Amino acid sequence: MSALGNSTIDGGALAPEAVAQNAGALERTWSTKPGVWAWVCTVDHKVIGRRYVITAFAMFLAGGIEAALMRAQLARPENGFLGADRYNQIFTTHGTTMMFLFAVPMMTAMGLYFVPLMIGARSVAFPRLNAFGYWTYLVGIGLLYVALLTNHAPDTGWFAYVPLSETLYAPGHRVDVWAQLVTFTEIAALCAAVNIIVTVFKMRAPGMSVNRIPLFVWAQLVVAFMIVFAMPAVAAGSTLMLAADRAIHMQWFIPARGGDVLLWQHIFWFFGHPEVYIIFLPALGMVTPIVETFCRRPVVGYGAIVMANIATAFFAFGLWVHHMFATPLPELGDSLFTAASLVIAIPSAVQIFCWIATMWTGRPRLTVPMLFVLGFLFTFINGGITGVMLASVPFDRQAHDTFFVVAHLHYVLLGGGVMPLFAGLYFWFPKFTGRLLRNGLGKWHFWLFLIGVNVTFFPMHILGLDGMPRRIYTYLASTGWGPLNLLSSLGAATIAISVIIFLVNVVLSWRGGAVAGPNPWGASGLEWATASPPPPYNFAYPLIVSSAHPLWDAHAALPVATGLRTDRREVLTTTTFDARPDARHSSPRESIWPFYLALCMGVVFIGSIFRPYWVLIGTALSLAGLFGWGWQSTRPIERERIALPNGALVERT
Amino acid sequence: MTSLRAETSVADLPTVTFGQRSLMWWGTLGFMVIEGWTLALLLVSYLYLRQSVIQWPPAPSQSPALLMPSITLALMALSVVPAVVVARAGGRLDAPAVKRWLVAHSLIGVAILILRWWDVQSLGVRWDANAYGTAVWMIVGFHTSLLLLDVLDTLGLTLCFFVRRQPVKSFSDAADNSVYWYFTVGIWLPVYLIAYVGPRVI
Repeated sequence: MSALGNSTIDGGALAPEAVAQNAGALERTWSTKPGVWAWVCTVDHKVIGRRYVITAFAMFLAGGIEAALMRAQLARPENGFLGADRYNQIFTTHGTTMMFLFAVPMMTAMGLYFVPLMIGARSVAFPRLNAFGYWTYLVGIGLLYVALLTNHAPDTGWFAYVPLSETLYAPGHRVDVWAQLVTFTEIAALCAAVNIIVTVFKMRAPGMSVNRIPLFVWAQLVVAFMIVFAMPAVAAGSTLMLAADRAIHMQWFIPARGGDVLLWQHIFWFFGHPEVYIIFLPALGMVTPIVETFCRRPVVGYGAIVMANIATAFFAFGLWVHHMFATPLPELGDSLFTAASLVIAIPSAVQIFCWIATMWTGRPRLTVPMLFVLGFLFTFINGGITGVMLASVPFDRQAHDTFFVVAHLHYVLLGGGVMPLFAGLYFWFPKFTGRLLRNGLGKWHFWLFLIGVNVTFFPMHILGLDGMPRRIYTYLASTGWGPLNLLSSLGAATIAISVIIFLVNVVLSWRGGAVAGPNPWGASGLEWATASPPPPYNFAYPLIVSSAHPLWDAHAALPVATGLRTDRREVLTTTTFDARPDARHSSPRESIWPFYLALCMGVVFIGSIFRPYWVLIGTALSLAGLFGWGWQSTRPIERERIALPNGALVERT
Repeated sequence: MTSLRAETSVADLPTVTFGQRSLMWWGTLGFMVIEGWTLALLLVSYLYLRQSVIQWPPAPSQSPALLMPSITLALMALSVVPAVVVARAGGRLDAPAVKRWLVAHSLIGVAILILRWWDVQSLGVRWDANAYGTAVWMIVGFHTSLLLLDVLDTLGLTLCFFVRRQPVKSFSDAADNSVYWYFTVGIWLPVYLIAYVGPRVI
């Protein structure tokens, strides 16, 4: 066995001993060493992806606890359980947590873990950038939750509308915490997006042309592009505009000095509406392989689903104004954005009809992941219908800022985002842990969650139509809203019980669940072609793909490419469209610099809230970190084969 | 586990590539899009604010002086020359030429930064005077931050080439650095037209 693992090709089956020897060498090269230092420095996309998933799920629990506190406060009229100030902090932290710290990071985390596995790659394109993104995200979480525990959490809502979030109405540092936290999470999202785009474009398995890319990967790719165009808006709005207005008296949103409060809403919702689809599209991407696997057939309408993803992304950027129908915008604009809001239902419907057709023509098995998919269809369609209602300007002006909108958005986000996520967690849990989640507990989880969601949020439609405003901490008994609010709170308790059952299931199954094996469901994607959980190098050899369902279409032995080095971390890159082998690239080893740089950027952004000179100190430390990062990349290695721009191939040290 | 069948070998593929065959080129492109888009949003915000007032710049603000940004524009155009030469020399693995022209590139970059210091002194408005001043300062400031990072990157790369024997892939990095410089120069053009020439014509 040479360092260029099995470079001789005989066109036949690889001997198991040779494969094992190759795997042993790769294990030594790719594994993260034990110890705290290595734990901090790791760049393994699976380790980081798993951390992201666990951290994001912890944020789901934190946001859920906050929701439970709010429902306890609203369970009966004139309740003094929380009080206005604490309620405002908790409702802002709930929204901020669920949107910025749970939903988007969770979806990108699933991508960072699974995209390389699904496309047959050994890592992501930029492993250290990936680590940096995670640490940045963690610093942002620390900022928000330290603020909450010390009674300094933001209290102006997760949208931080100006002028309420300007210093005149929001003195102190609560809004600054929100503004800087948002930027941290957007940095993390942007790092993940660039990583996913380049990984999908350049690191797909040989033969995985664009018409063979798994639909989950397609969804992640489309969403990564959406992030690249949506997140700069909120980062610009929160740090370059709102935080700058508050810290150094800039005048973006101060009408007396020529500023405009509606500019904030335009900037925020230009991000905020695509954000819903940034959460929703990866969730839809999870549905397809689950439906395929448990219906035992390829999905109907692969091309239609790809086009629906792209169309959704396109239209998502064209309807931010439907959040602003109650503002004094021109009528013509309202009509245009109403049309866009209605049109976006079409690509969602296309996907839903494709899944229904797949189930109709397949042999469905009602496993727990499939139950969650069915629950998703039911809940999301309900939320989608109220979305179409709210796209109508006259109705929106009636329902605006009432609990009807709260009901709609929770139906969409829980139905369209969380239910497919649970389906995906049950489906892919073996790839995280090597074990299967327990079926019985999974069914309890599903039914209680489905009932809980509907009991919690359906009454809110009625409360909203009855005029109950959102964002209030209490209401008078004479309004008659008490019974439905109590019912809603009981529904929230049911959701909490279902999530506790899921956590118990995870703990029990992780410790002693049934061993899954590489492909427990008989699925077709490449992630199931390797062990559960996958080894540090993902695949012993790059797999060669000749269809959209490689494991279903492989007959005797999986075709692979040999020749990647085993003595240093090397990845195979392929051409962008037809995925022909193009080059071998070094993949970086562990590094402290991503962690260091995230901390230094924490000094910049958090320091800016309190003392401007911390910006200078943090910037200097960050620049030193950037230099260290770059310096570490310049270690001369050994003889290289170089493809010069003129097409010549030379060898040089 | 399914058995494996060797179908081809990738051992003969190159390990260092340039341009769109290189992962770093794609990463650089990604960050150019993000930063360019952020700047575009700031420029759109500037034009949005313009709509709500009759006089632009609003009194007593003055239009920014044109001399320094025009000289900067000329110098930026000139700076493309060493950047192009570095990219081409990098593509030939010509270390002496890369070093020589990286120095020239760095010097022009530093000169542009120094000019920018005077430029912001003559914007004709304080950032906290009104929304116009805020928008101008933020747009120019944001571009300056990109410029600063790019000049520091070029200086760091130059330093690495001089004090340490470079791996071959650094030549590809030098070429990518030039691509990023084209971007930094290119986005100065809309900034110049909207923030400096704009107040005189819109």
